[in-house]
Amino acid sequence: MRTVWFLLEKEVRQLRRNRSLLGLLLVAPIMQLVLLSFAANYEIKNLNLAVVDQDHSPAARRLLNQFQYTPYFRLVQTRPTSRAAEQDLLDGRADLVLVIPPQFERDLVRGGRARVQLLVNALDNVKAGLASSYASSIVQAYQGEGRPATVAATVSEVRGLEVVPAYWYNPLLNYKTFMVPGILVEIISLIVMMVATLNIVREKEIGTIEQLNVTPIRKWQFILGKLLPFWVAGLYQFTIGLLLARFLFHVPMVGSVPLLYGIMAVFLAVPLGLGLLISSVSQTQQQALFVSFFFLIIFILLCGLFTPTEYMPAWARAIDRLNPLLYIIDIARRILLKGSTLRDVLTPVLTLLGMAVVVNTLAVWRYRKTSG
Amino acid sequence: MTNPPNNAAAGRASAAGPVITCQQLTKRFGDFVAVNGISFEVAAGEIFGFLGANGAGKTTAMRMLCGLLGPTEGAATVAGCDVFREPERIKQHIGYMSQKFSLYEDLTVRENIRFYGGVYGLKTAAIREKTTALLQRLGLAAERDTLVGSLPLGWKQKLAFSVALLHEPAVIFLDEPTGGVDPITRRQFWDLIYEAAARGVTIFITTHYMDEAEYCDRVSIMVDGRIDALDTPAGLKRQFGVASMDEVFLHLARGAKNVE
Repeated sequence: MRTVWFLLEKEVRQLRRNRSLLGLLLVAPIMQLVLLSFAANYEIKNLNLAVVDQDHSPAARRLLNQFQYTPYFRLVQTRPTSRAAEQDLLDGRADLVLVIPPQFERDLVRGGRARVQLLVNALDNVKAGLASSYASSIVQAYQGEGRPATVAATVSEVRGLEVVPAYWYNPLLNYKTFMVPGILVEIISLIVMMVATLNIVREKEIGTIEQLNVTPIRKWQFILGKLLPFWVAGLYQFTIGLLLARFLFHVPMVGSVPLLYGIMAVFLAVPLGLGLLISSVSQTQQQALFVSFFFLIIFILLCGLFTPTEYMPAWARAIDRLNPLLYIIDIARRILLKGSTLRDVLTPVLTLLGMAVVVNTLAVWRYRKTSG
Repeated sequence: MTNPPNNAAAGRASAAGPVITCQQLTKRFGDFVAVNGISFEVAAGEIFGFLGANGAGKTTAMRMLCGLLGPTEGAATVAGCDVFREPERIKQHIGYMSQKFSLYEDLTVRENIRFYGGVYGLKTAAIREKTTALLQRLGLAAERDTLVGSLPLGWKQKLAFSVALLHEPAVIFLDEPTGGVDPITRRQFWDLIYEAAARGVTIFITTHYMDEAEYCDRVSIMVDGRIDALDTPAGLKRQFGVASMDEVFLHLARGAKNVE
């Protein structure tokens, strides 16, 4: 262990003198967390709405008002025909078109069922989905409540089923509650894996690795000495991140924070070990960086933060079972938002532990003091 | 510095058995034979010059003896440890300094000494003691907190040499240690080598400077992976009937096929 201590001392001294790396480790994650948490937003506001009102009735006007009262839509065009409004859609002036057909009011009063048409630009299908669901809920609410009271009384029996969702663990569907823990572990993984990736191979490029390889240092001591400084840096980032999550983003922390820390400590060994493994098999920093990016991009895009993993084809989900981010994000959300205990998250925790053991064993094994 | 007598080895070498032995040591990379069945012995306290043109296989042979590269066949021991089976045990007993400067440039002089001392398992008190002595000897006491990267090359190399001797190894391997430094610094460097040899450390050195070859007790010359000549500098000159090591070297190296 004494040898590891000397290695640690050396790594920390080098780190302290490397301003840019230090900044990357200590400041960048905080800036990224703040920036991304405000920016990565699933709420869409100010969608451009074009309207084709062919009814010109008070009921139609009331419906339009409903749209304008929300922050989600901004009326940009009123067109006499669908054709003209479609052109708005085509030219990108409008994100969606609401067509109110003739006899809208009459149908509404008579049968309680009136139809409107929504044309949505689905170039960006997330935006399109949100736009149409916002619009539908406005229309539905209008149909439910917007009719004259006298009419409503007579047609109440023909109203269909109403679904009242209850959102558990995140009742207000606050996207920050959902995103912040995920973004946090994602940023930390990215940074610690990067610095680990560049570390050993950098000593190869400079030539100092050869001097170390003629010393009696043990392989596990070497890897441990490389891993620990960045492991501490990762936990530091996590601490700051949790404080920001709590006090800036008001993410609820229902479960045990110490438990999450412990699990995070296990998790960090996975990206770190993988980075060191890549670093010890690479010949140049450039090569190491590309290999690392290959893994990181897959990890990040398939971790469930941006696309729900449930939507993925079965083979992709099978591959994704090797994605450490998938587990830690799930665990972090469950502990913070739902108050899960260690027993609840035992399976993913053991999976992470297994991954940590495997990648670090591989890193020690693949680090060669004696070549071919 | 006075010109060192070349037969000094005789007295020192007899003190103990050979520190390095090689029998038919071979390294192949695919079809290419980098080191082709070399055999020699180096006695304790001897300064052994390992010469050869670039590409002759010097560095490959040296890396095998240091436990950095696995040999293909043959047999070799360094400080009593088998090169095939105990490459890690060898490392406790050798010092190594390569042509590629290998101290940490972003650590100070003292931090480098402390780090390598620690990695070789020296006690804290011993590290402190040796640091003071080393700085004194090199005249670097005033620079102890200077980053190694900002030292002149000659100083760096003297420091690297001294750091490689910190754990008192039986053998030190020097791979072109004086490349790129001025003649005065080279002379000073050789003073350090003689001091170490006088303490009984075996010196295994590769060089391209023929004047340095003259300083060695014995010199081997590698050509195309084989050792074509091995004797004292005086013996070699006599053998080839020439006046300088330069001519000995040119005579042998001219026949080489694997020249970079």
